[in-house]
Amino acid sequence: MDYLLTPFHYDYMVKAILVSGLIGGVCACLSCFVTLKGWSLMGDALSHAIVPGVSIAYLVGLPFALGAFVSGIVAAVCMGFIKSRTRIREDAVIGIVFTTFFAAGVLMISVFPSNINLKSIVFGNILGIADADIVQMVVISTVTLLVVCLKWKDLLLHSFDPNQARAIGLNVGVLQVTLLTLLAATSVAALQAVGACLVVAMLVTPGATAYLLTDRFSKMMFIATGMGVGTSVVGAYASYFLNGSTGGCIVVLQTSIFLLTLLLAPRHGLIASRLAARASVARFRQRAASRHPAIPEAVRS
Amino acid sequence: MTESHSQIDLTVSDVTVAYSNGHVALHDASFSLKPGTICALVGINGSGKSTLFKAIMGFVRPVRGSVRIAGQPVKTAHKKNWVAYVPQSEDVDWSFPVSVWDVVLMGRYGYMNFLRMPSAHDKQRATESLERVKMSEFKDRQIGELSGGQKKRVFLARALAQEGRIILLDEPFTGVDVKTEGTIIELLRELRDDGHIILVSTHNLGTVPEFCDQVVIINQTVLAWGATETTFTEENLSLAFGGALRHLRLDHTDVPGSNRNEILVLTDDEGALVVRPNGSKQAPVGKSSEKL
Repeated sequence: MDYLLTPFHYDYMVKAILVSGLIGGVCACLSCFVTLKGWSLMGDALSHAIVPGVSIAYLVGLPFALGAFVSGIVAAVCMGFIKSRTRIREDAVIGIVFTTFFAAGVLMISVFPSNINLKSIVFGNILGIADADIVQMVVISTVTLLVVCLKWKDLLLHSFDPNQARAIGLNVGVLQVTLLTLLAATSVAALQAVGACLVVAMLVTPGATAYLLTDRFSKMMFIATGMGVGTSVVGAYASYFLNGSTGGCIVVLQTSIFLLTLLLAPRHGLIASRLAARASVARFRQRAASRHPAIPEAVRS
Repeated sequence: MTESHSQIDLTVSDVTVAYSNGHVALHDASFSLKPGTICALVGINGSGKSTLFKAIMGFVRPVRGSVRIAGQPVKTAHKKNWVAYVPQSEDVDWSFPVSVWDVVLMGRYGYMNFLRMPSAHDKQRATESLERVKMSEFKDRQIGELSGGQKKRVFLARALAQEGRIILLDEPFTGVDVKTEGTIIELLRELRDDGHIILVSTHNLGTVPEFCDQVVIINQTVLAWGATETTFTEENLSLAFGGALRHLRLDHTDVPGSNRNEILVLTDDEGALVVRPNGSKQAPVGKSSEKL
């Protein structure tokens, strides 16, 4: 028992567990919109595109969240611009822009040595997180949660039917920018917890898992958020014993839950759909048999 | 509230829409509709039907000309919830995790507070709208679990709940069985009698004379508009569709030289329009089975 409680004797572990839980929850909350809007690639792009901002911010001594945020938004604007002005498809545009930004960031960090470590940006370093960074993350998370809680219905309508949103006089542009901004800000916050490479997992997996489990958006939000918080807390805790990467632990845990759900989900899981298909074939045969009793069994089956 | 029940007219004057790639989708389109009409918007694919819809919805800004609703710009009209929209089935993500009830309530968002909490009145309106399209028993279904006709009725209920005075329907009869088509037409007639303006974009030429009193025929511009009897003619349709329309003249007469029994069938691959020599038009009896 004492052994299981050892992580809680270390201040840095307690912080890491709490911060991971918070960030995991916020990411999961947004992941519902990300999966339904088809923005998974966008999330991936944003989380990579913030890296040059982080390095510039450190070089000139600004808060890293500010730099990251600005560079995320610049990347989103670039993507929007290229997509609307050229014939290149969206996935290619996203691919080009985010790798360019990421490369620029990696280059800057390696050319101008500073106190930031490339590894901690790419893979996260929640155990060594500074108190000032925790404050930033808490602020970002609180604002994001507040906006989502207050405006989730508008965001939902915007994701489901932007035309209707516009027809009843909602400002669709503002909603779109709000969602993108929240996404960028959350990516910044999650960067420290799991690193640029794994942020997208936190922004997609919980939403995708919850989507398999329910047909109601509000339930989907609860399931996703619960899963985000749970896996992040447990993942961070387990990383102490495994002596492994916190981000890795969290994401592996999320993926295992996703796989289990994929298999066992009551209606949209693989097994359930297989059974449902089999049942309806059986019903069809039964009906056919009652209608044409003269047809021999061999022909019917 | 009194305003939303007043009579509202729609005026489209000299609307020209060009997209950023330089394509002019619509030029100098003009027509106007009075309250209490069902108007069909007829034209081939790419004739600018959806662009015209977008202009009325305010999604595209005309480079020239204007759309006015009760004399107001579209933006004001939207703020007042005057314009309701029933999307084409293909434009809806049917696997989205929302129920029938959720969708109908979305029509009330414009009346709700900052948090979009439905009031008792909002709920009552939504319930009434669902009853009106006979979908109450499907209230809690996820929208993907409905048949084609039921799906259409849900979105119609949303438009009803919104209490829009102008209702735009994009291809309402695609993927809908004949019975539902009848229900929808019946409902549209009731709404017309309440003073609504209903603008229906359709490929189903056969049903147009059956329930539309006005027609707007377009191909990059408005070719003709006005009352169905005078505007929905073979000449105007040929003008709009050119060779794009199946055009069959059937004659099973025993009297050579007489066109007494000749019938003309015009079809855009959906409901066919049947014209008798005396000019009377008939709706087809069936739907897809009648495809020629």
